[in-house]
Amino acid sequence: MPKTGVSGYAAISARVRAMYSSLLDPQDMTRLSDAPDFQSLFAQLKQTAYGPYLDSLKDKEITPRRVIIQIKNRMADAYNSVIHMAPEHTRPLLTQLYRYFEVGNLKAILRGIVTGSSSAAALPLWERVRDVLFPYGSMSVLPAQAMVEAGSVGSAVELLHGTKYENALSFAMKRYSAEQNLFPIEVALDLEYWRELWREAKKLPGQDREQALRVAGSLIDMNNLMWAIRYRVYHQLSEEELINYTLPFGYHVRDEDVRAIAAGADIAPVVQRIYPGIPDVNALLDEPRSGLPKLEIELKRYLMNQCMAAFMGNPFHVGIPLAFLVLSDLEIQDLTVLIEAKSSQMPDEEFRPFLLKTVTAKA
Amino acid sequence: MFFPKEMTELELIIPAKDLLAVTRVLSGHGVFHQTDSNYPGAGPNTWPEKAAAYASLERRIQLVMQALSVDEGQPPRSDYDAMVEVETVRPAVEQIEDEVKKITDQLAGERKRLEQLESALHHLEPVEEVNLDVSQLRHSRYLFSMLGQIPTANVDRLQTSLARVPYVFLTLRSDAQKPVVWLAGTQSNADVLERAARSAYLNPLALPEGYRGTPAQIIKTLHGEIDDAHRKIAELQVSLEKLAESRQQKLRGLLWQVHTSRVLADAIVRFGQLRYTYVITGWVPTDDLENLAQHLKSASKEILIETLPTKRSGHNSNVPVALQQSKFLKPFQMLVNTYARPRYGELDPTLLIAITFPILFGAMFGDIGQGLVLALLGWLMAGKKVKALSSMSSLGGLIAICGLLATFFGFLYGSIFGFEDARIFGIELKPLWISPIHHILDILMVAVAAGVVLLIIGFLVGIFNYVMSQNWGHLLFGHNGIAGFLLYLSLIGFGVSAFGLLPVSSTIFVVLAIVSALAVMFSEVLIHLVEGHRPLIDGGFGTYLIQAGVELFEVVISFLSNTLSYVRVGAFAVAHGGLSAAIFILAELAAGGLGAFGYWLVVIIGNLFIVGFEGLIVGIQTMRLSYYEFFGKFFTGGGMRFEPLALTPAKEEQ
Repeated sequence: MPKTGVSGYAAISARVRAMYSSLLDPQDMTRLSDAPDFQSLFAQLKQTAYGPYLDSLKDKEITPRRVIIQIKNRMADAYNSVIHMAPEHTRPLLTQLYRYFEVGNLKAILRGIVTGSSSAAALPLWERVRDVLFPYGSMSVLPAQAMVEAGSVGSAVELLHGTKYENALSFAMKRYSAEQNLFPIEVALDLEYWRELWREAKKLPGQDREQALRVAGSLIDMNNLMWAIRYRVYHQLSEEELINYTLPFGYHVRDEDVRAIAAGADIAPVVQRIYPGIPDVNALLDEPRSGLPKLEIELKRYLMNQCMAAFMGNPFHVGIPLAFLVLSDLEIQDLTVLIEAKSSQMPDEEFRPFLLKTVTAKA
Repeated sequence: MFFPKEMTELELIIPAKDLLAVTRVLSGHGVFHQTDSNYPGAGPNTWPEKAAAYASLERRIQLVMQALSVDEGQPPRSDYDAMVEVETVRPAVEQIEDEVKKITDQLAGERKRLEQLESALHHLEPVEEVNLDVSQLRHSRYLFSMLGQIPTANVDRLQTSLARVPYVFLTLRSDAQKPVVWLAGTQSNADVLERAARSAYLNPLALPEGYRGTPAQIIKTLHGEIDDAHRKIAELQVSLEKLAESRQQKLRGLLWQVHTSRVLADAIVRFGQLRYTYVITGWVPTDDLENLAQHLKSASKEILIETLPTKRSGHNSNVPVALQQSKFLKPFQMLVNTYARPRYGELDPTLLIAITFPILFGAMFGDIGQGLVLALLGWLMAGKKVKALSSMSSLGGLIAICGLLATFFGFLYGSIFGFEDARIFGIELKPLWISPIHHILDILMVAVAAGVVLLIIGFLVGIFNYVMSQNWGHLLFGHNGIAGFLLYLSLIGFGVSAFGLLPVSSTIFVVLAIVSALAVMFSEVLIHLVEGHRPLIDGGFGTYLIQAGVELFEVVISFLSNTLSYVRVGAFAVAHGGLSAAIFILAELAAGGLGAFGYWLVVIIGNLFIVGFEGLIVGIQTMRLSYYEFFGKFFTGGGMRFEPLALTPAKEEQ
C-alpha cells in the first residue's frame, strides 16, 4: 500500500519547501543581471545558495563552462536528495524525470563522437565532451568515457547493451547506419523518455496521479508542441513523419492539435487555444527564426507558473517535489543564459528577453 | 592507538633535473599524501598532456586485456618505478591491439551475421506456412509490402499517421517490445507508406537478395548458415584464447609500466612549477619522515626540505588522517569509519568502541549456546572458510567478538540455547549473576546505571577533545562541554539524592543545576564572548531569550532520553529470555503432535531464528546506542582520509 497523504509526504514536503525557499527570487535575478561582467556575476552568485558549489573553484577554473557545471551540481544534489526522501511509490517517476539529463548526456556523447572525429582540436575528445555533460553521478548507466573512446557511434551504442536505452537504440541505429545522421537516434531517445515519464505518472494513485499528470503533462505539452512546430517550419517533414515523431498525449495538448499542425492547419489558432495567455502568437510565428525561441520562452514561463501553483493548497502530494525540480532546472537555464551573456559581454536588451524570471530593467 | 598518526607537513623545492627521481621516491614509499601546489600562470606545462596520454594508453591496454580476458596479475616485485616514454610503449601496444582487433573484428562480424540470420529466422517463422515466393512480394508491381519489426509503442502512432491512405497492417508475431508486422498498400502510395514506416522505426526484414523461394525453404537455408556461423565463432574464440596465452605476460608488463608512468605524471601535474625548480607540498606520517628524507636526499643532492610538524592541538581540518590500529581492532575501526573519520587531533574512539560495543551486545544477547554459534559464524566469516560468507569477511571479527561476549553474559545469566537452570554433563547451570527474566527491575536499573557511566565517559572524552582543539568557548559552555557535563551530573545527583541513595543534600545539586543550566542556556553569548565574536547575539534579545530557553529544554530532554535509551540493554536481555520461553511453549505444543522429534525441531528452528533475527536487531540497537547516545557526546569526525601516492594499487589501499 503506497504511503500517500500526510504520512508519506510530511518530511519531503518540509524539505522541499525549505529548498524551494532557497531558489533565487526576482530581486536576486535582477541583482545578478545587473552585474557588469562575468567576474562580478560570479562574485554575486557566490553570495547565493550556489555559493558552496562555487567555493571549490580555483582562480584558474573560473570559466563560464566550469561555473555552469558547478551550479548544475546543486541541481543534481537536489534530485538525489528528493528521490531519496520521496515515498517509495513515487521514486520511479522522480527517477525518470531525472533521466532527462542522462538522455541529454547520451545525446551529447553521440554528438561529440560525430563532431569530434571530424575536428582537429588540441584537447582529447573525452576532455571536451566531459565538460558539457550534466554531473549525473552514480545513478548513470552510461559508460561515458568508454563510449567517447569507442570512436564510432555504433561501437558506443554497443556499450549500452543491457541498459534501458538498448531497445530504442536498436531500432534507431538501423536508420543511423543508413542515413549517417543522429536525428533519428535523438528523436527515438526523446520519444522513449517522454512516454516512460507519462507511463510512470499514470501509474500513481489518487492525487499523486492528478498532480503528476499536471506537471509531467505540462512538460510534455511544451516539448510536443515545439517539436510539431519545428518539424513543420524548419524541417518541413511530411504529415506522417510529423505524427510519428510526436506524442499523442499531454495535459492540454491533444492528439488532434498535433495532427492539425501536421496536416498543415494554421499554427497560431492551435497555440492560442491551448495557451490563451500568450500574446501575439501570430507575430511570433511570422518570423519563425526569431519568433520560435521567444514562443518557447513563453511556454517555459507558463510551465514555471504551473509549477509555482503546485505549492498552493494541499502540500502532501508528489506535485510539490516534481514542481520544485522543474523550477530548479528552469532556474539553471536562466543562470546559464546570464553566465553566457555576461562572459560574451552581450548587451542587456539582447539577453533579458530570454530570462524566464521577470527581471526589472536597468534604470 | 588513541590518536591518528602524527603528521608532518612537507615542502620540497627540487631542481628540474631531479624531478623524476624525487617523484619516484615520493610515489614508491606509499607514505606521502600530496597536496596541490600547482598554481595558474606558471608558464607552459606539458605534464597534463603527458598524464592524459598515459591515462589513455593505460585504458587501451586494459581494454585489450579485457578483450583477451587477461587479468592485471600481481603488481610486479621488480623495480617498475621508471617512467617510460609514451612513444616507446605505444608501438608494442598498437601491435597487440591490431592482433586482437583482427580477431575481435572477425568475431564481431560473425556474431553480427549470426544475429542477422537469427533475426531473419525469427521474422520468417510466423509465416513459415505461407506458400508464396518471398521474392515475388519484394518485386511486386502493384503491391507495396514491408515485413519487419517495429517498437511496440510506435504501432498505434504508425496507423494514425497512415489515416489518409489505404493500407493493410498485420501483426504476425506479438512481442512485448519487438513485434513482427506486415504493412501493405498500393505502389501508388509507396512514398507515403515508406516515409511513415521509416519514421515509425519499422525496420524491414533484412533478407539478402540471394534468398528466394517460400519461407519454409529460406528457413532451411538459414539454419544451415546459422550452424556455419556458430562453427566460425568457436574457431575464432580458440584463436583469441591462444593469443591471450602468448601475450599475457607482455601485456601485464606494459600495463604496470604505463600505470606507474601515469601515477608519476599525475603527481607531477600537481607540483608547483617555477622556472628551474619545482615545489612539492604534502603530508608524511612523522614516523616515516626520516626514512623518506634520506631517500629524497639520495635522489637529489640539491633538494631543499622544509618540515613543519603539526601539533594535535588547534584547528587541523586540512591535515590528512592516517589511523593506526592493530589487526584486532580493524572491525571496530570499520564501525567508527562508517560513522565518520576522526579529525586530526581528535581522539580516535576505536578502542573505546572495541570495549563498549561487544559488552552492550553481549548484555542484550546473553546466551552461552547462541553466543558460541555467533562466535563460530564470525570465525568462519573472518577466515573466509565458507565461500558463501566470504563477501562478509570484514564483519567476521566483529561478530566473533560479540559472540564471545554474549557467551560470557550467558554464564552470568545462566542461559544456554534459551534453557535456564539446565544440567550439562551433571553440572547444574545456575546464573553466576542474575537471571534477567526473573529480576526485570534490577536488570533495567543496572542498564540505566551503565548508561550513565558510558555517558559520563563520553562527556569526559568530549571535554578532552575540546581541550585538544583549543576550542575554549565550547569547552567551558558547550552542551557537551564542562557546563553541559555539570548540568548532567547535577541532574543525576539530584535524582539519586532525592531517592535517598546518596547522603548529600539535594540542595547542592539544585544550585549546581541552576548555575550550569544558565551557562548552557546562554552558551551562544558566552561562547561568542570567549571567541571574541561580535555581535554577541544575532537578532533581537527577545527572540534570543525564547530560543535559548527552548534550547535548554531540548538539552535537558536529550540528557534524559540519552540516559533512558540504555534501558533497552536490560529490556533486550529480558526479551531474549521471553522469546526463548515462547519457543519452548511452541515446542511443547509441537511435542503433543510430533513427539520428542517435534519438540527438538522447534527448539532448533527457534534458536536459529533467535540467532539470526534477534542477533540482527540487537546489533542494530547496539550500533544505535554507540552512534547516537555515545558518539554524540564527543565525536565530531570529518577528518580527511590519508591517501598516499603509490605506484601499485595494494599500496593505495593502505
